[in-house]
Amino acid sequence: MNKIEPKNVSAQLTYRARGNPPSTLPVAAISNCFPGLEFDFRNIWRRIFVGLVMHEARPQVVEVEEEAPDEFQTLVGELLVSVDGEQLWVPVTGPEAAGGPVQSLGFSNLEWANALANILQKAGEQVQCVFFDPDSRQATEVLLQVRRVFDEEGTPVGESGVLARDLAQPGELTQSLCSPWQNDYRECACYYWAASRPDFVNSETDAGGQTAGHNWLHKDRTPDTPKFYSLRQSDMVSYEDLFRNWEQLRFVIGGKDEE
Amino acid sequence: MNDNRPQRPAFLKPGTRDPEPGTWKPLIPQPARVPQVHLFQAGGKPHLLVADGTRVFGVDREVFERLDQASSRGDRAEVKRLLQQFGLDAPPFVTDAPPESFPVRALSLAVAQKCNLGCTYCYAQEGDFGGTARNMPLEIARQSVQRLFEEAAPGERVQLAFLGGEPLVNRPVLREATHHAVALGREAGVDVGFSITTNGTLLTSEDGEFFERHGFAVTVSLDGVAEAHDRLRPFKDGRGSFEHILRRVRPLLKMQKRMQVSARVTVTPRNLLLRPALDGLIELGFHSVGFSPMLSSPSGCGQMQPEDLQAMLRQMIDCANECERRTAAGERYPFANLLTALQEIHRGTHRPYPCGAGGGYLGVSAQGDLFACHRFVDDQSGAMGNLREGLDRHSQAQWLARRHVHRQEPCRSCWARYLCGGGCHHEVIHRGRPACDYIRGWLDHCLKAYVRLLDRRPELFSSLRPSSPVFSAPSAVQSRPAP
Ligand code: SF4
Ligand code: SF4
Repeated sequence: MNKIEPKNVSAQLTYRARGNPPSTLPVAAISNCFPGLEFDFRNIWRRIFVGLVMHEARPQVVEVEEEAPDEFQTLVGELLVSVDGEQLWVPVTGPEAAGGPVQSLGFSNLEWANALANILQKAGEQVQCVFFDPDSRQATEVLLQVRRVFDEEGTPVGESGVLARDLAQPGELTQSLCSPWQNDYRECACYYWAASRPDFVNSETDAGGQTAGHNWLHKDRTPDTPKFYSLRQSDMVSYEDLFRNWEQLRFVIGGKDEE
Repeated sequence: MNDNRPQRPAFLKPGTRDPEPGTWKPLIPQPARVPQVHLFQAGGKPHLLVADGTRVFGVDREVFERLDQASSRGDRAEVKRLLQQFGLDAPPFVTDAPPESFPVRALSLAVAQKCNLGCTYCYAQEGDFGGTARNMPLEIARQSVQRLFEEAAPGERVQLAFLGGEPLVNRPVLREATHHAVALGREAGVDVGFSITTNGTLLTSEDGEFFERHGFAVTVSLDGVAEAHDRLRPFKDGRGSFEHILRRVRPLLKMQKRMQVSARVTVTPRNLLLRPALDGLIELGFHSVGFSPMLSSPSGCGQMQPEDLQAMLRQMIDCANECERRTAAGERYPFANLLTALQEIHRGTHRPYPCGAGGGYLGVSAQGDLFACHRFVDDQSGAMGNLREGLDRHSQAQWLARRHVHRQEPCRSCWARYLCGGGCHHEVIHRGRPACDYIRGWLDHCLKAYVRLLDRRPELFSSLRPSSPVFSAPSAVQSRPAP
């Protein structure tokens, strides 16, 4: 890959590293409002094991790296259930509905950063990994090498903030960013995206201090749509609606639908 | 002997002070090979300037060599393709369309179209612009100031400049206009910056106090130190003026707090030794010192020829090297030309015009006529209406369309076009473009100095802190050719 280093301000503002989408330019990026959201951090887990490409959020093999041994091919689609003796899938128990009895709710994966915290100390080493094929229900054991997350060349251990080059291919770190046509945009309930999308629109407060308004995802709303925060699936724009027709989202200006 | 070798300038006689003894050889010309890029080595590493957007990149050997090969063949299509391939393309920063209109943000008042010096090369032809010597009446000055505030919204900033001739010949009007502007500024919530360009011969300490009170940028035209100056800027009776000026400028130099007193040196074939002038003037305490070559004088006298410009470039580079060395060492060495260029390169300044003339900046003659700038006063080629009937929008639109750098030859195919802007309109219209190799050679050097300083002292550029020596340089408009 060619080495290009933007030097002055105009070069830095307009340089798009190879593979990065236009949304990573400061002028377009969400990081313009929220520094730190230049990329989706979950993507650093995708190539944490040499030879495999994992899903960014689930311990599932998505594809195999070019230089990987042929037998790795059979792992595509399989779930990674344990690494170096640490379970990645854990049984979940609890009530199904509020006040209900505690029962088994099946298995769920731990979030990558928690699940692999110990494994990261073994960067460069081989670890025992157990894969599970959901179709044949067979388990396979494979020795995999853990990749280094940071490029520590020339820096004291633990002080480098530079991601290792082979941890992600060009463009990968910025995939799955929060754009209207991506899941997170609808999903994220943490109000993190406040600058790019509203939550509660057309709200009004009555004399008694009660506030009423629309869910930002309320479909086909007009000024006459009754003001209540609907969570009924049938009232809301679905994921699929967003993927296919994200333009249907209304402009909300000053908290109100644009006329 | 190689015939292409420039002649050794006559003033550099053997035994006189040669800028770089024994190394006289032609500077590598900076040919305009392709308009898109300029390639250069700095700090031993390959670098690239992408002209559009004035973007500077460090690149690897392969990128450098492939662009270099394509550009030495003049192959614009291949350069374009390579820029795309390396992810260095971007939507155009400067389009062909001229701005439709400009609010006036700066006016210069020719408060006195007369002068007490007899500089042979003066654009104002010893002050009167080739016409009758006259002072600007107070009424015209007041109207001009009013005009300046007409399009300014609260919170904005406007500039009022006093030029001549010698503006201090008409001191009462200068002061009155300043007071008027302060009052209007206060009323409108608009910030006003003041500047004056003076030959310094009439300065008094009361002037100093006045300028200090109003935060003037004072530019004193000096053509060197002592005899170097006296040769070029004599009184009309032939006496030297340097000592006289110095006596008057010194108190101001001491007073500088809000006020900034800078020296501007017009370079002619007779004062080509820049380094002693720069060191001497900095030592005297000037806020900054800048040089501009005399490219077009009404009589043709004192104009720089190609070999003079080569010699000047060597001297400029010598000054720049010293400035770079001192700046890297954390010392203040206010060589305005370099510091301004560094500032512009760092920001990526890209302009379709060399200056604001005829756009946001206009000159007002003593009679109240409007011109593209102070240098066009009473020159029909830059006429733009008058205060009574207003700015002639049609002439302005035509000017902006015609003067756009994309409409200039050979600028449209020159890599330096957005840093240079096509050269001072006044000089280009009256003499053409004799200085392109000089301009490109200078910009090439500034780009290298920028990269080296950025590598060694990145903190100088990390913010636009006024305390940084790089960013206390005078503004770009002041670094244009000397009035
Ligand atoms: S005037 Fe400036 S932009 Fe035009 S050709 Fe000369 S150096 Fe290039
Ligand atoms: S650069 Fe030339 S045209 Fe522009 S303001 Fe200065 S003197 Fe006028």
